[in-house]
Amino acid sequence: MRGPDVTWYLAVAGVLFATGSLGVLLRRSPLIVLLSLEIMLNGANLALIAFARQQGDAEGQIFALAVMAVAASEVVVGLGLIVALARRNVALDVDKLTTLRG
Amino acid sequence: MVAPAWICLLAPLAGALAITLLGRRISRRLAGLLSTGSVAVAFAAALLSFLAALGRDPDDREATSTAWTWLSAGDLEIGLSILVDPLSLVMMLVVTGVGALIVAYSIGYMHDDPEERRFFAYMALFVFSMLTLVLAGNFLILLVGWGLVGLASYLLIGFHHERTSAVAAAKKAFIMNAVGDAAFVLAFFLLIVETGTLDYAGVFGRADELSGTVATLVALGLLGGAVAKSAQIPLHTWLPDAMEGPTPVSALIHAATMVTAGVYLVARMHPLFEAAPSVQDLTAILGAVTLLFAGLVALVQTDIKRVIAYSTMSQIGYMFVAVGIGAYGNGMFHLMTHAFFKALLFLAAGIVIHALLGEQDMRQMGGLRRLLPRTWVFMLVGALALAGMPPLSGFFSKDAIIASSLAAGGGLGYFLFAAGLAGALLTGIYTFRLIFIVFGGEPSPSVRERLHTEHGEGPVSMTATVAVLGVLAVVGGAVQIAGIWHPFADFLDPIVALEREHLALVEPSVTEDWVTSALAVGLGLAGIGIAWRLYGAGRREVAAPRAVRHALEHKLYFDELYNGLFYWPASGIARAFRSLVEGPLIGGSVTGVSSGARGLGRGVGHAQTGYLRTYALAIAAGVAVLALVFVSVR
Repeated sequence: MRGPDVTWYLAVAGVLFATGSLGVLLRRSPLIVLLSLEIMLNGANLALIAFARQQGDAEGQIFALAVMAVAASEVVVGLGLIVALARRNVALDVDKLTTLRG
Repeated sequence: MVAPAWICLLAPLAGALAITLLGRRISRRLAGLLSTGSVAVAFAAALLSFLAALGRDPDDREATSTAWTWLSAGDLEIGLSILVDPLSLVMMLVVTGVGALIVAYSIGYMHDDPEERRFFAYMALFVFSMLTLVLAGNFLILLVGWGLVGLASYLLIGFHHERTSAVAAAKKAFIMNAVGDAAFVLAFFLLIVETGTLDYAGVFGRADELSGTVATLVALGLLGGAVAKSAQIPLHTWLPDAMEGPTPVSALIHAATMVTAGVYLVARMHPLFEAAPSVQDLTAILGAVTLLFAGLVALVQTDIKRVIAYSTMSQIGYMFVAVGIGAYGNGMFHLMTHAFFKALLFLAAGIVIHALLGEQDMRQMGGLRRLLPRTWVFMLVGALALAGMPPLSGFFSKDAIIASSLAAGGGLGYFLFAAGLAGALLTGIYTFRLIFIVFGGEPSPSVRERLHTEHGEGPVSMTATVAVLGVLAVVGGAVQIAGIWHPFADFLDPIVALEREHLALVEPSVTEDWVTSALAVGLGLAGIGIAWRLYGAGRREVAAPRAVRHALEHKLYFDELYNGLFYWPASGIARAFRSLVEGPLIGGSVTGVSSGARGLGRGVGHAQTGYLRTYALAIAAGVAVLALVFVSVR
């Protein structure tokens, strides 16, 4: 088996996931939050593919493909929402969109 | 014999339905004529049936006719059947005969009433109900009739529904009767369990097999129903209030027919009562107590109709005495003559009320002798018959009952005899108190002011019917003259003859008859004399001890007693439940659930900050915790 050990891949995946999480939690622009979410998903995809490679079967890869498809649709919906917000002249700031407050 | 009986039963129903369905399409007068006509047809049919029965052999005068099986449950089959026998024939004739006269009278009396049609439909409905009661061929049909007359009575007492007092009186009558009906129905259930049938013949045939306790309970239940319907103590309080209904209603339902249903019932069910001698005695005692009580209360009443109402209670007391000691023929005889002279008194009183534009307070009346001369004669005839003066009808029938109680002998017999004689004295006093106050003396200012001269004594429909009743009240007693001839008793005999053997036969001897008549007439005359001294000559109220007067004016506090015994505890319990259970428990639990849910929602709502990052953090934290759990649990 060639290439670096699976641990490295997992480390990169962890870094990606953490970066994405921090982005989701800390950034205020919904666009960036969506972007960070994508990064988290790609971190997860990387872990899935790394494990698939290590185990030697295709299940993980198929899973990753499914995640990509879902992520694509999610981006469509998310971006659509953001465009709608912008069109209505609502401030693009997640801290100001607090209509769900109980 | 049976076919005319069916016509007799159904004609008034047809009349009631026709008036109801035609509504405003017929004139008010036509509604009255329709009602009168249907009852008159019923009378003609009853007469035909009676003649057919007379043509038969005395032992063959009983016929049952079943239209169809009405109800069947297991072994119990109940047909829609009628029984025609001498007892029901007598009742049919009285109900339809007196009924037709009274309905005809109503055409004049109710002339100004805007809801005349409803009145006439109810009257025809009542006659149908009463005929169902007397013609019933089994206990269930009897119960149907029993309930229907109660309904008709309720509707007619509350006829003036715009008067709260009338509505209250109607409800009172219905509730008091419902108490009796409940006892009645319990007796029926017991009969079904014990004899397995509700047929008259089936039940009476097995009356001897009933054990003592069961027989007593059944008879008590039946007596409960009879006592309520006939306004005897202790279920009598509804009858005086029932005078809220129009006067013809008082005459037809609350004097001549419905209130005597209890007497008919005891006579009809005599095998069951004879199986329970203690209940028979109770029947007679209740009758005696009621006749004395009602006679006393009648002495102080000031409403002309209430005086007659109490007199009705008192006379039905006599009938209960008669059927209680087994003198069924005499009881039915008094029922018939009483129907004549009491309807006469009520209708004559109706003319007075009509002429005085609704005034019923006797204290406002006086001197009507010259203003309403014919009414004065009618009323006098009715009063003399009621007081048992010879040769009017009341003399024969009432004395027959008193003599029978003397002949029954024993302590009870002598008590009933004494009560009957005391009742005769009281009857004389209260009847002629009414006569002297209303007709004697000079016209009072109120009479001069109110007397409606155009009305006078009313149209022919009123005076003519009253005149017919007056004639009947005079000659009605002639169908039976003690010791000389007794076709009435002979006619009724087949019904009771079978069981006569083990009954102490209550046939007074000739001496007993004469002694009783002399005593009763003497006491009646004494009563009239007392009334003349107190009210005729002096026209003043008697200075009785205040406590006595007060007690009598409050009808010996029966209403107050029932209020205290039933109404106040019931409403107290209801109030307590409202404040202790309904408020805190039922209402409290509902509001508690809603306010609890609202509070909980408000508390949980604080977790919803609306900040996206909070939600994201919560999700991340949740996933972290779950991951930790999965890792550590493995």
